[in-house]
Amino acid sequence: MRKFSFLLLFATLFIASSCDDDTPKPEPAGDIQITFKGNYDGETFYTQKAYDYTDDMPVRFSAFNFFVANISLLEQEDATEETELIDIDFIDLGFDETQTAEAEAGVTVSAMKVPAGTYRGLKVGFGVPADLNRTNPVDYGSGDVLSKTSHYWSAWNSYIFSKIEGVADVDGDGQFETSEGEGLTLHMGTDATYTERILFPSSPIVVDEDGSINLTLNIDLKTLFYMPINEYDVNNDELLDIETFNGTHTDSELLIAKQLMRNFSEATALD
Amino acid sequence: MNKWILSILALTMIFLASCKDDDGGGGTIDDDMLSADDLTDITYDPQTYELVVPCDFPEMEIPSDNPMTVDGVELGRFLFYDPILSADSTMSCSSCHLPSGSFTDNEAVSIGIDGVAGTRSSMSLLNVGYFYTGLFWDGRVTTLEEQALLPVEDEIELHTTWPEVEVKLKRSEIYPTMFRKAFGIESKEEITKFLAAKAIAQFERSLVSSGQSKFDQARCEPGVFLDPLELEGFELFTFEENEHPGCTHCHKTIAQLFTDNRFVNNGITDVGGTAVENLENFPDKGLGAVTGNIFDNGKFRTPSLRNIANSAPYMHDGSLNTLEEVIDHYSSGGFSAANSDANVMPFPLTDQEKAALLAFLRTLDDDAFMNNPAHQNPFD
Ligand code: HEC
Ligand code: HEC
Repeated sequence: MRKFSFLLLFATLFIASSCDDDTPKPEPAGDIQITFKGNYDGETFYTQKAYDYTDDMPVRFSAFNFFVANISLLEQEDATEETELIDIDFIDLGFDETQTAEAEAGVTVSAMKVPAGTYRGLKVGFGVPADLNRTNPVDYGSGDVLSKTSHYWSAWNSYIFSKIEGVADVDGDGQFETSEGEGLTLHMGTDATYTERILFPSSPIVVDEDGSINLTLNIDLKTLFYMPINEYDVNNDELLDIETFNGTHTDSELLIAKQLMRNFSEATALD
Repeated sequence: MNKWILSILALTMIFLASCKDDDGGGGTIDDDMLSADDLTDITYDPQTYELVVPCDFPEMEIPSDNPMTVDGVELGRFLFYDPILSADSTMSCSSCHLPSGSFTDNEAVSIGIDGVAGTRSSMSLLNVGYFYTGLFWDGRVTTLEEQALLPVEDEIELHTTWPEVEVKLKRSEIYPTMFRKAFGIESKEEITKFLAAKAIAQFERSLVSSGQSKFDQARCEPGVFLDPLELEGFELFTFEENEHPGCTHCHKTIAQLFTDNRFVNNGITDVGGTAVENLENFPDKGLGAVTGNIFDNGKFRTPSLRNIANSAPYMHDGSLNTLEEVIDHYSSGGFSAANSDANVMPFPLTDQEKAALLAFLRTLDDDAFMNNPAHQNPFD
């Protein structure tokens, strides 16, 4: 009986290997997963939680989400060889304090097979790249990330690349009142605001055949508010004056949107 | 009592069936029953239903296991309007979803079969085939096929049971043939609630905008323009700068449906302040009752605004009577709660601007949809 199954196995193997001759050998591959985690000032970020924006103005967020695009592994530091992992995806880091496990785990985008090898860097785009931004949600089926009508703004002919929403206690009365105009709706978009960042881990990313690697990107929401343009930072604290600029909708405020998207570079760190 | 009637009926049917036989009672009763149930003499030749939608509307996603056919939609229409679906044959889907009300009942909250009031306002079924992110005000059901099964057994709505309805459908003079034509069943016995729900869903998917609203004509047809007041209203509606209406933050125009299908708290309910514990005070927890997350309490699906002037009163609880009240609500910024949406903030509004917003909303009126003969009660 033993012998028989052994023979059978041998035969199967033989047949299988002879089949291989016609089909190209599959490239050796390992799995890569990418996890996005939200922080606020270095701590795990939660929606619906009061944070100090400035010393005398607390802020409470209700939404923090963004598109990521053109994520690829770079074989050399000069980024000549790219292995694409993800063309476009949508990351929603809006977890509240009833969802601590989810918030701490972050959002993981599915595993992708890449050839085994040593990679030096990781490129990540924030927003919707220009070619995809020429399309709109109507072009996609309801399961597609780009079908989100909530993240398209017709007046801009653009996807909304990122939404940061919340409410700031502007009058300092201890209440967060959208009915008093304290709401915060920072919506970023248009081609000019698309941002790419290349991250170099301290040691190279080694992908083994059949191995599996998880790369974690921490994104600090507070850093997104860094504001070097004086006009939008009259207080001179290097933060956007959200009490005055609580939206990003006019043409002049497009500069704010641009800066906030650019800040994704600084705000993102590889674990 | 019911059982008694049933047995008489069954006997009558057996009797009728045996009468049809010419061969002088050669077959057993069972055989005769079978031949009476058999529908294979009726041609099954399904024709694809061509859904016509206005320009720039997205293509509707139709589930592959329930393609729309001419006979399927027609069967669905009959079922939708037939009180056979209720316990005492007094109500049908159309009791709460009338064409003249853009397929709502124009009541603040719907009244069900036993005169019992529900807690929510009926929803327009215009373009309902496009809402993929969850049906009902709270998104608790995903597909129209699933949804159509619920009102029949809902205690406040039709308050009967599907087995009872299935018996009535099998016994009916018209339905066995219609189910045969719609779904190719071979015997009456194959009539099920699932097929009934599929047919109703097909009919509902046919309830799309006519393309004859002034807004659509201005978009799609040369030579039709919005007048200056309507245009001013459109600009206000889409103007998302702070201290402006910014309705398109949620009632999105990109897919022409005036909704983003998200669930938000748009500030119509006073829960007594912005502390988190006040979120328990929503009389209707909406999405929160579905997800169990307190921060989802009081969140409801952003509804479409097409043909909105014909589906008053407004909101999930029917608490706002007119579009003027709705506009005033938004202009006030509504009530703040811990989870109120940041996109609902107060904005100043002159009488002229209010008239303009209203005029714009009226360009979405769709009389041709409501009067479309294909959507009307087939029993009238
Ligand atoms: C007693 C009144 C009543 C009857 C009868 C009734 N409905 Fe409704 N319908 C409602 C109400 C109220 C809602 C909203 C309920 C909620 O959100 O919980 C609703 C919601 C719906 C929706 C969801 C629409 C959307 O956009 O999410 C569909 C679809 C629907 N009904 C179809 C039907 C069908 C089909 C029937 C018959 C089988 C039917 N209804 C019978 C009152 C009724
Ligand atoms: C933050 C998102 C948001 C914004 C901004 C918004 N709405 Fe709404 N709208 C909703 C939601 C959610 C509902 C349903 C709420 C409920 O029933 O509890 C709604 C309901 C309505 C209704 C009632 C629909 C019905 O079938 O009962 C009308 C009319 C309406 N909105 C008009 C407007 C207008 C006009 C504006 C701009 C001034 C506007 N909305 C801005 C989310 C929004």
